[in-house]
Amino acid sequence: MIKVLSHLLLRRCLQAVLVALLVSTVSFFLMHSLSGDLAFRIAAGRYGYDMVTAAAAEAVRVELGLDRPLLQGLILWWQQLLQFDLGDSYLSSAPVIEEIREQFGHTLQLALSALVLSVVIALPIGLIAGLNPHGWLDRVSLTLSIILRAFPPFLLGILLILLLSSKLGITNAANASHEHGGLFLPALTLALSLAAVSSRVARDAMVEVRRSAYFNFARTKGLSDLLALLRHGIRNAAVPVIAYLGVQLVFLMEGVIIIESLFAWPGIGHALAHAVFGRDIPMIQGTAIVMGLLFVLCNTLVDIACMLADPRQRYLASRRADA
Amino acid sequence: MSAPELKVQDLAVKDGKGNWLVQPCSFTLKPGVALSIIGGSGSGKSLLVQAIMGSLASGLRASGEIRLGNAVSRAEDASGRRPWWGHTLAMLPQEPWLALNPSMRAGKQVAESYHYVSNTRMGMAQAKMQASADLNQLGVAAASEKYPFMLSGGMAQRVAFAATRAGGAQVVIVDEPTKGLDADARDNLLTVLQTVLKQGGSVLTITHDMHVARMLGGNVMVMRDSNVLEQGTAEQVLENPQHEYTRALLAADPENWTQAMPAPGTGQQILEARGLGKRYGKQTLFSGINLEIHAGERIAISGPSGAGKTTLGNMLLGLVAPDQGSIALAPGLDKLKLQKLYQDPVSAFAPRLTLKQAFDDLIRLHKLNPSALPPMLARLKLDEGLLRRLPSQVSGGELQRLALARILLLSPALIFADEPTSRLDPISQQDTMNLLLETVAENASAILLVTHDRELAAKTMQRHIAIQHA
Repeated sequence: MIKVLSHLLLRRCLQAVLVALLVSTVSFFLMHSLSGDLAFRIAAGRYGYDMVTAAAAEAVRVELGLDRPLLQGLILWWQQLLQFDLGDSYLSSAPVIEEIREQFGHTLQLALSALVLSVVIALPIGLIAGLNPHGWLDRVSLTLSIILRAFPPFLLGILLILLLSSKLGITNAANASHEHGGLFLPALTLALSLAAVSSRVARDAMVEVRRSAYFNFARTKGLSDLLALLRHGIRNAAVPVIAYLGVQLVFLMEGVIIIESLFAWPGIGHALAHAVFGRDIPMIQGTAIVMGLLFVLCNTLVDIACMLADPRQRYLASRRADA
Repeated sequence: MSAPELKVQDLAVKDGKGNWLVQPCSFTLKPGVALSIIGGSGSGKSLLVQAIMGSLASGLRASGEIRLGNAVSRAEDASGRRPWWGHTLAMLPQEPWLALNPSMRAGKQVAESYHYVSNTRMGMAQAKMQASADLNQLGVAAASEKYPFMLSGGMAQRVAFAATRAGGAQVVIVDEPTKGLDADARDNLLTVLQTVLKQGGSVLTITHDMHVARMLGGNVMVMRDSNVLEQGTAEQVLENPQHEYTRALLAADPENWTQAMPAPGTGQQILEARGLGKRYGKQTLFSGINLEIHAGERIAISGPSGAGKTTLGNMLLGLVAPDQGSIALAPGLDKLKLQKLYQDPVSAFAPRLTLKQAFDDLIRLHKLNPSALPPMLARLKLDEGLLRRLPSQVSGGELQRLALARILLLSPALIFADEPTSRLDPISQQDTMNLLLETVAENASAILLVTHDRELAAKTMQRHIAIQHA
């Protein structure tokens, strides 16, 4: 098992390096191909639109080396990256790594809470719906899934604020003692969107398990329905749900950026959105890299969870590690 | 302790529309005496035993009466028999490899019957020891700590059997227990079932395999089209069958086939293989295999399960790369002329496309002559109307012949048939095998057959290649 794990981690580390390089390079080119004059936008970000003059923009251009040829800029950026230096923010002049360090914890907290919450919501609903396919719960949860998935996350977030905070007063949309309103609402918004699909995956997995020869054998062996479900049903039904989480990570990453902005959640996604408006290239590159790495990390966690839940995958992984 | 008597009175099964799936039948299963039900696919054998268990699919209705010892249950009251499951009445399902939980170790799947089901209610630790002892006795001690996907079919069979028995049931129903097993595994299972009988248990077996019915002895029941045609002692039914269908079933047993004509085997060389070898990880599967195949030859590959029979065939077709050695096709021979007939025809067709679509696509892809299809289907005794259906809507025998038609359209030089009839009942097996041999001869193709059935190989093939574990 240790050998398998280290093999997996090694592979994922290599992947992480590639992701970091690729994301940083692509974002570098994307930022430089944006329309408008970079130095003007940055100067506007620093001093306000009313205060920007050609001279101020020129000063910014020289200060940040934006007058350098593109290729030279890229090579400089790679050099910095190899020294784990993400540069300084164009706007605040603080090291990017410092800002990200502060935000990363928040984002991780939000992403993992949303992931866990989505499983907590999706698994029981999906499993129960799957135990009684075409029953009322199955039909209601299917309808809700379609509606929830059809809503873009920002709209769902606004509706939840309206419903839970304004109408019912259960949660705070904004907290007086805090600049944001707590973890629950943004995590719930993301979790609901994720659970919309996960619950259907869980439902189909459960239907499959119930139809399976081994589940029926568990029953004819003499186990009660509950025991058959606990010992032979849930774990096998959970494997595809966990595997599908890996697919949904893309949606999670994308959702984090939008939801953080909507709920003023002080995480990386929020920072990324701000950095884009301000043309804060080092900040954009830094946050993009960290998001990319977070993606690799979450994928690794999903892989490990799959291996723990499914002995066949453990076996195949150990075969790969041996080869 | 001897088993309670199982008495079935006027048991019948109907579908939702009121069609008979099993016509009323009565029989008694006495302790220590086997009862084997034989008959073709779709004859209602499996439904009959599911009706006894009370595990029929919803939508099917059973009627009649089932007595087990002193307990009486109306057939339609399936839930009334639920408490019997595992304790007094147990069923070993078809395809034990699928009947075991893929994510639980084998030993645990046996132990839980001792812990949760058996009247002894032993603790988990003791249950695990008992399970290991059982598996040891069945000769599969090594299976205890393994997951089902690591077991061979025969091993999984014995693990599932131990799990079936551990609840304490003395009356055991086994549904096609030898499907897909090689001769050794089959004999092993027969020994196990005979032991149950000797100890006073009773065994109700569904089988396609006349050898199994003969070895278990006791009584035999023959079914066709939802009807019980005849029943009696094994000697009566198997040695002196009254019904025509029973005689046909017995004649379809490969043991009773007439020897196929010898093939010339002097045709043009199709391929030549030298020093073929394959390894999996550190384990060598086989090595140093030399082989030439000529047009018109009929070659059987035999060997124990897991020896690499299928792998060798796939290698010759170019589906698997050899680790050692080389394969040379006759000059000018396209790889497309080497075709494979799969064991399970259902998984060889796209499940949600009609069969017509499958053939149309093939004809378009390879620019074949569409007018070749109808005579081909007629040659294989297939109705053209079948093409409108989905693969799941035709019988196994028909689907395997459709798979054969699909291959023959490409006028292959070599057909690799991998256990092509092991999932068919004896009569469809004989029909399919005969048509396969006839069409192969008409096309002067060569055939390479993998089968675990020694009789079948001996009666149909002309050359035999044995591969052993290296």
